[in-house]
Amino acid sequence: AAGAKGGAKVIVEPHRHAGVFVGRGKEDLLLTKNLTPGESVYGEKRISVSAQNDADGPATTVEYRVWNPFRSKLAAGILGGVDDIYMKPGSKVLYLGAASGTSVSHVADIVGPEGSVYAVEFSHRSGRDLINMATRRPNVIPIVEDARHPLKYRMLLPMVDCIFADVAQPDQARIVGLNASLFLKVGGGVLISIKANCIDSTAQPEVVFAQEVQKMREMGIKPKEQLTLEPFERDHALVAGIYQRAS
Amino acid sequence: MSVDYLLHENPVGYAVFKVVHQPDTIGNRLKEVLEAAQDLDKFGKTVELVGLSPFQGTSDALQEINDVSEGIMSDFLKATLETNLPKASKKKAITLGVWEKNLAGSIKAAFPNLTCETGDTNPVVGDLLRGLRQHGQKLIKKLQPGDLERSILGLGHAYSRAKVKFSVQKHDNHII
Repeated sequence: AAGAKGGAKVIVEPHRHAGVFVGRGKEDLLLTKNLTPGESVYGEKRISVSAQNDADGPATTVEYRVWNPFRSKLAAGILGGVDDIYMKPGSKVLYLGAASGTSVSHVADIVGPEGSVYAVEFSHRSGRDLINMATRRPNVIPIVEDARHPLKYRMLLPMVDCIFADVAQPDQARIVGLNASLFLKVGGGVLISIKANCIDSTAQPEVVFAQEVQKMREMGIKPKEQLTLEPFERDHALVAGIYQRAS
Repeated sequence: MSVDYLLHENPVGYAVFKVVHQPDTIGNRLKEVLEAAQDLDKFGKTVELVGLSPFQGTSDALQEINDVSEGIMSDFLKATLETNLPKASKKKAITLGVWEKNLAGSIKAAFPNLTCETGDTNPVVGDLLRGLRQHGQKLIKKLQPGDLERSILGLGHAYSRAKVKFSVQKHDNHII
């Protein structure tokens, strides 16, 4: 990945998912349009491209940030070919398990200034980094609270279009279901990253994934697809579904 | 069991809504009913704003959200309910729909003649409160577009900062 910058011979194309971009160069890169040009959040590389919109207008530079699939489950899922990420510019996204906010910053880039990301993280240490990241991005609302008790932060949330969950907890399907019943629109999207080891380290990953999908069904979420996050993560699956409320 | 009033806590203030059109308990999970709740025109006919008590400032709002998340009824919420709800008596019982059972308990302790229902005890309440979350901004006429978003942003930062700053246990929360 080291050769990405220097050459500057990168052509940026929009990805199939609105708000996501692909940089075509010596090797292809997943990109999001930087909401705070000139700044990196976690030391990721940035790529500037000058674009000429009008024939005689001035050339404007647009800055993109490289999105590393080894550090973000959502990026891994996009490269793995997930059919729908249920978020686009203008969407409201509830992000459970935000950690230090590295992936959250890319989601904030995708939804853009018209959208918002409600980032929930329980750990105080990560929460500090998350708050710091959010001070530079007004479309990120940091919520340092336990996602198991969504009623505690009910005053901070409107209805959202999508829930992304990366909480790595044994009861994560229940956590997502609870949050959906409070905050997710009927017809809204659910994306859950499942780490088989965190649910049941003794069972086969495929069995764990099937159990979790069944639990989602019981919570009123209709599963749409399931894909593995290989080669970026081992024994991980990304499950996408639609919230129907009526099970 | 019918519900007469709803309490909607939002970052701007406490709002009390009256349920003017009682939804059916049977069939509230039908696709058509769920879709109707998404529609502002249809949902706007079921509820009506009685009153909104706005918070006085950011520190006030932070105090209130801390109380709400712990299930405590603040004096301000008590005053709000007193002004916006009609006097309940033994003969004429009033049912108030709230989100959380601890808060319901605190309210019931202060208003003995008031019955409280949550989404767990009555699924209709859960659906109505979801509708208020979705359409609250439009149903509270005093709010300008963007007011809620701005207050959420400010309050979210204040709430999270306070959490991290005044953490009783000095070490980190253990997740697993």
